[in-house]
Amino acid sequence: MGTELLERRAVISGVGQSEIGRQIDRSGFQLTLDAVLAAIADAGLTVDDIDGLAMFPGGGKANLPGYANGNLYEIQDALRMTTRWRQGIVEGMCLPFYGPAMAVATGEARHVVIWRTVKEGSAARNAGGRPAYGSTNPVAEGPLAWLLPVGALSPVLQIAPYAARYQHEYGVTREQLGWIPVTQRAHAALNPDAVYRTPLSLDDYLAARMISTPICLYDCDVPADGATAIVISAADTAAGLRAPVSIEAMAGVVDGRPSWEQWEDMGRVGYATAAAMWNRTQLRPADVDVAQLYDGFTIEVVWWLEAMGFCEPGEAGAFVEGGQRIALDGELPLNTWGGQLSGGRLHAAFGHVAEAVRQLRGEAGARQVAGAQVAAVTSVGGYEAGAALLTAWSG
Amino acid sequence: MDATVGIPPAVTAETEAFWTAAGQGRLLVERCSACAARSFPPYGICRVCRSRDVAPVEITGEGRIYSLTVNHQRWMPGLEVPYALVLVEFPDHPGVRVFGRLRGCPPQEAVIGMTVDIGFEPGPGGQAIPSFVARVPAGTVDPRPRRAPVSQPAGARRQERG
Repeated sequence: MGTELLERRAVISGVGQSEIGRQIDRSGFQLTLDAVLAAIADAGLTVDDIDGLAMFPGGGKANLPGYANGNLYEIQDALRMTTRWRQGIVEGMCLPFYGPAMAVATGEARHVVIWRTVKEGSAARNAGGRPAYGSTNPVAEGPLAWLLPVGALSPVLQIAPYAARYQHEYGVTREQLGWIPVTQRAHAALNPDAVYRTPLSLDDYLAARMISTPICLYDCDVPADGATAIVISAADTAAGLRAPVSIEAMAGVVDGRPSWEQWEDMGRVGYATAAAMWNRTQLRPADVDVAQLYDGFTIEVVWWLEAMGFCEPGEAGAFVEGGQRIALDGELPLNTWGGQLSGGRLHAAFGHVAEAVRQLRGEAGARQVAGAQVAAVTSVGGYEAGAALLTAWSG
Repeated sequence: MDATVGIPPAVTAETEAFWTAAGQGRLLVERCSACAARSFPPYGICRVCRSRDVAPVEITGEGRIYSLTVNHQRWMPGLEVPYALVLVEFPDHPGVRVFGRLRGCPPQEAVIGMTVDIGFEPGPGGQAIPSFVARVPAGTVDPRPRRAPVSQPAGARRQERG
């Protein structure tokens, strides 16, 4: 690596979250303000230091009730800010900090706040149940035209055939994969902000109702209310930051057909992304102390474990079986905040990034992994993919 | 099983021919005049050679279930469950995969590799939707994994790097 990687010129300086729960009776806008202000304070900065804003999804695009909240300009206006860089993202959201890191690395901005706010828990309650994906629109447009009309009315149904294919090809069983949600629930019990904290047993998992085979209730993440904000700063501002975390490497590659029904082999979705990321660092999978792997569904964790090289293709079932390897004291502590399966669907890996930062700072409380120096973070399933290594600040 | 409860497709300049033919029980994809490749969904360009000289062509013949799911969740009021959704590929038409419902066997008897016939049924908004018909009785297809089993013990790769 002859040239300096741009991500090394950026640091994650702050993370902040609103109250998180199944239903929070405050507006998405107020939750957003809570998270943004908390993240700025966490970084050791003031609002006036911030000169870049980004949010997901941009433009208020929503295919699910409660999915999109607020507007970037309203936040800028409410906080009486001046910005030099702004970004609203749907496509290209491989990692929450990818675009902001590029902005501070190239000098476009010094300190960028990016946030994600969800009110899907309240929206589901108000709808009387989990609403259909796309039900916010009268007709299915674009790629949804090939999914919703035939009855693939949720991301569950869109990913389920690939989960079935994976299990078919490798003979991986539900008895093995159930250890992912079971272990993550044990981690959530140590996270006061997690949505579900009561113990979950493998028997509970195996007895749960099917949503769409082979995906059962506990394989699905939990619709929630809450906001997460992350501050990305130029690395040369580190001396003025409270507790920065380094971005060792990051990548986001979309190399298959970017379509839920056309992807050739969704079980390999993260392979090109992980390969590109490992190509940007001397660190290896064995160096990772804690892994926050995107878990919209259990099967996405499985694919990320294999894509990232924590185990070989087809081995994730054996890797997670029994839960010891992925426990807090295991060789690869996994989704230590409970992940989206128990912590709540904060979405787009915002919860995963926040947890990775806390672990690397030693600020993760009862669920702290001792001596965590290297964290892996992956984002999004489906056809979009992002992967990064974050490391404890060494000055 | 009624499939009319749901969300209808937006019909566009690129997809109008597909949905019109669907109403006639015919499955259209795009055929490239330059290289003869089939592309789906229709974009008005060949996905293989990028020629813009493409035209709708009907495909026929048997399909094979690449994978499937059986949905049990009532996502919308009045939605009848359970039903099987299948990703179907066509041995005679490489590069084409179509998502649709499955009829002709109980949903729980559908398996990967099963042979299906092309079909359609009434869907949301008066629009016909792909609805494949199981041809082979369940249990007669080869359920063996396609890939060779992995012999290396779990975690070995990680350990050797440690």
